[in-house]
Amino acid sequence: MSDDQPFDLVGCLQRVRGKDQDAARQLVDHLYPLVIRIVRSHLPRRVQEEDLAQDVFLKMFTRLEQYQGAVPFTHWVSRIAVTTCIDQLRAQKRRPEFRWADLSEGEADALDAVTADTSASAPDDALAARELVDRLLGELKPDDQLVIRMLDLEQKTIAEISGLTGWNQSLIKVRAFRARRKLQKLFAELKKKEGS
Amino acid sequence: MNQTPSAWNRLVDTARGAPDTRDVTAPYGFATRVAARAWAGDRPTGSVFAGLALRAMGVSCLLAVLAVAANYSSVQHLFDHASAPAATAAASPVPDDPMTAMVDLATS
Repeated sequence: MSDDQPFDLVGCLQRVRGKDQDAARQLVDHLYPLVIRIVRSHLPRRVQEEDLAQDVFLKMFTRLEQYQGAVPFTHWVSRIAVTTCIDQLRAQKRRPEFRWADLSEGEADALDAVTADTSASAPDDALAARELVDRLLGELKPDDQLVIRMLDLEQKTIAEISGLTGWNQSLIKVRAFRARRKLQKLFAELKKKEGS
Repeated sequence: MNQTPSAWNRLVDTARGAPDTRDVTAPYGFATRVAARAWAGDRPTGSVFAGLALRAMGVSCLLAVLAVAANYSSVQHLFDHASAPAATAAASPVPDDPMTAMVDLATS
């Protein structure tokens, strides 16, 4: 398959429905970047991204007969990927309590920068900030974590999140509110621990 | 209340700037493995029948036990009937055996 030619998704799906293994391989290769991005952004701890991506694709093949074409195929697959990640997040045990001493130097600096009273200060190290965000989000319930990640990190709209998760918009707003309150509490606790 | 959300916002604003340089193409052999596993999930017709037959056997055994339990009074009556002659024979002083009866008659 040449990279210059657009991927014939409709034709490929027809062949996959006819149990064409070569078409199935092409479909996996075509959708892998989409799936792996979703998996990476919602990857639970101690789960191999490749294993989770494989689960997503196996679910996709199992449910392929249910796809009626009401939504774009990539959207349908994205939804499978998101729900698979939610299931994995729910299945994992709760993370042990978050302690100041667990932070790396970069994460501690990032935390210092954002909790400083001057509103203009921002952390310099984006990677450390990202790690700190992941740590803080790990303290939230899986569903709340997913909502905040999509809203604040991926900057998706409530409607988009609703489309991907199947949750109604009010529920998403409630989860976002609850999650932000928990984050606020975490920041306050960390600041107190830092001071002591 | 007003400081913390902005602290979170500043943190995520910076975190969004973190570059993600990881490769997004499927690893070698991944698509082949997934496609093979997807088809392996389809069970052959024979094993479907075997699974159904085992379930049918279990259900029929259960139904048989339930049927005996539901009709126990009738079954018990049959057992009582079968064991009755033996019980009367043990209780009666006269033997049922015709030969014995004839010998008894001859000797009396």
